Amino acid sequence: MSDFDNRDKGGRGGSRDKDDKKGGGRRTFFRRRRVCKFCVEKIDYISYKDVKLIASFVPERGKIQPRRISGVCATHQRALQRAIKRARQIALVPYVSD
Amino acid sequence: MSAVRQYELIYIVPPETTEEALAELQTQVEAITQRFSATIEKTENWGRRKLAYEIGPHRDGIYVLHVINGPAALVTELDRRLRVFDLVIRHIVVRVDLDLAIAERARTRRKASMSARRVRRGLPPEPTEQERIRRSEDDDDMDGPEMGFRGGDR
Repeated sequence: MSDFDNRDKGGRGGSRDKDDKKGGGRRTFFRRRRVCKFCVEKIDYISYKDVKLIASFVPERGKIQPRRISGVCATHQRALQRAIKRARQIALVPYVSD
Repeated sequence: MSAVRQYELIYIVPPETTEEALAELQTQVEAITQRFSATIEKTENWGRRKLAYEIGPHRDGIYVLHVINGPAALVTELDRRLRVFDLVIRHIVVRVDLDLAIAERARTRRKASMSARRVRRGLPPEPTEQERIRRSEDDDDMDGPEMGFRGGDR
């Protein structure tokens, strides 16, 4: 009897989980801790010469990674943008690549 | 009259450039800076690097960096001259003193506010050696540079 109850409960629980996923699943799909790397590591000056640092914000395609994805704060995104554009001029970072 | 400012000059020459040709180019740059009574603070040769994109026929280049203290008129002259040299495939001059001063100010301000906070909590203004060691042991949340930081991957 008790076994039957448990099984029944389990079954219902499982089906409800499935429903949840269908409903609001998208929002909770990929939650990352979004913090500004430059604030955390206390990087004051984003140099255009620091290819290793800058390249991590320029994905394969060569576009500058948007703030909403990298989590960089507005101040540092501005500085980063300038650094990337300078680095592009001297071929340290690509304009476009495919 | 004109204020002395700090600039960074980077230029790229083809990888097959001989040492003599490169030295010749550098003496030319020095001659220009001397004419404006500017000083070269630092010279760095980054050696051969792969270019992020092709510039004409070139896929690699030798990067040379000069840090120069001099007047603004020097920059226009350097820019004009470097554009003429066939050897130089790309160059850039960037003023750095302002940005570095801003960074320096931010650093001192942060240090001051940190020590002020520590004093308010009844601690010595500078973190002691022991605290520093403990903090580095705590740091296991995998957000360091070795983890990379590509942001979300959508």
